[in-house]
Amino acid sequence: MRRWFIPIIVLVVLLVIYIGTGVFQVNPSEMALIKTFGKFKSTVGPGIHIHAPIPFQSHVIVDIQSIRKEEIGFRTVGDQKYETKDTEALMLTVDGNIVSVEAVVSYTVSDPVKYAFRLRDPSNLVRFSTESALRDRISKRTVDEILTGERENVADEVLAIVQNLLNTYDAGIKLVNVLLQEVVPPSEVVSAFDDVNNAKQDKERYINEATKYANNLVPKVEGQALKIQLEAESYSQQQVLKATGETQRYLALLEEYRKAPQITETRLKISTLQEVLPKAKRVMMLDNSQKLSLISLDEILGGDGK
Amino acid sequence: MNKTMRIIGIATTVVLVVLFLSFSIVIVDETQYAVVIRFGEIVKVITKPGLAFKTPFVDTVTKLDKRYTIYDIPPERIITSDKKTLVIDSYIIWRISDPKRFIESMRSESLALSRLDDIVYSGLRNSLAKYDMDTIVTQEKDFLKEVLSFSASNVKTFGIEIVDVRIKKTDLPIENRNAVFERMKSERQSIAALIRAEGEKEAQRIRSEADKKALIIQSQAQSDAEQIKGTGEASATKIYSQAYSQDPQFYKLWKTLESYGDIIPGSVILLDEEMDILDYLK
Repeated sequence: MRRWFIPIIVLVVLLVIYIGTGVFQVNPSEMALIKTFGKFKSTVGPGIHIHAPIPFQSHVIVDIQSIRKEEIGFRTVGDQKYETKDTEALMLTVDGNIVSVEAVVSYTVSDPVKYAFRLRDPSNLVRFSTESALRDRISKRTVDEILTGERENVADEVLAIVQNLLNTYDAGIKLVNVLLQEVVPPSEVVSAFDDVNNAKQDKERYINEATKYANNLVPKVEGQALKIQLEAESYSQQQVLKATGETQRYLALLEEYRKAPQITETRLKISTLQEVLPKAKRVMMLDNSQKLSLISLDEILGGDGK
Repeated sequence: MNKTMRIIGIATTVVLVVLFLSFSIVIVDETQYAVVIRFGEIVKVITKPGLAFKTPFVDTVTKLDKRYTIYDIPPERIITSDKKTLVIDSYIIWRISDPKRFIESMRSESLALSRLDDIVYSGLRNSLAKYDMDTIVTQEKDFLKEVLSFSASNVKTFGIEIVDVRIKKTDLPIENRNAVFERMKSERQSIAALIRAEGEKEAQRIRSEADKKALIIQSQAQSDAEQIKGTGEASATKIYSQAYSQDPQFYKLWKTLESYGDIIPGSVILLDEEMDILDYLK
């Protein structure tokens, strides 16, 4: 009895191991495709499952929820570290220029059966299709369009083209998005492109400086104009006031004159000469004999002569 | 003892049956074709996945992949109709459509790939030679349809189906690339110069307009000032004339006397005896 015991245990263990080849685990985001003699039979979702052991049944696990990614023009080489792949990133534009484009295409498996059984290398299929479509779309635009407003359109068109291709191949792949990452001029010419931006800044600066000059000049001149105007007004006022003053004095005199013309005239004459003649350099008098008499004014006008 | 013999007998039979079965069944996967060959001759092609049978020890089975496969053709230099060189990096998507023919003509996949390479490359070169560089790079790639139909018809006899021929890259050779970079640089430099010149022009315009405005303001102010002064002078003149015109005779007297105050000081005066004022000096 004991002699049979050991071989039986060995047999049982071998049997358990054999049956164990049919046990498998499916993770939450995955799905398993079960094949009977190589032919696809059914799918099972997440959990621990068992199927008939080798060679009767086998399975393929496909991750159907995780988003897969292909990088074009660059590779993620570490945490937050990227490396540009020039040969992939440099693309010709419609105006014969070259631009460096980096993109990421994200996709999920929409049909695990097609995905697992129809394609030998699905990730490269997505990568090549995207690269091809991206270059095609970039080559339809000028470098300026690509660097400015056309990024979104390029991405949208690439998405549509690639999805269409994958549908043609019946690949069971659904694109999530195509995102353009760094879209820049090639490093060889980036300084020249930067200079264009600097030139734009310079242009702004020139204009701002000129505007500043204008904003400063005009009020200053307006102030000067106001000054000229006020000066003119004051001159004008002065003229009028002076005239009024002078004529008032004159009119007062006229009044006197009217009252006593003779006497006023004489008074005015004499007082004028009295006031004025002393300031003359010489006063000479001609008499009937045509002889010049020199008169010292001091003597004539009775000042205290020297 | 008899019992032991029986058990051994059964076990041996089971093992033999299993061995026999294992040599006579063929498991064909979803992704495969199986070709059964007997003494170098194809006797059966299994295209459907599942269980199949063969004659044990006599038949051999070759399995072929039936999935879509990408073949990345190495980049090739191509001369365009305008005699420019382009580096074309293309790929094809193909699969084995007729395993029997494939086995007969190709034997192995690596041989098939080199044939594919030759055929597609020559198709590309022939088609692209008809177009100029601009068309190839920037236009819709209709010529790929030509290449596809040319290649597809050429490989059909090998049991191969070409699903698609696509161009991944159309690049300039490295030596031309530098020329492009130089051109791009000079293009940008001229754009930068243009932008700066525009800025200077605009700045000059703003300055000149300000100067002009300033000059106008100034001239206007001067003109206004003259007008104001004129008005003042006119009113003053009016006041004078109103006052002086009342008695012209007195005005003459007054003005004459007043003028003496300006004329006489510092001058030499010659007086006639007849002058009234000197009457008393005689």
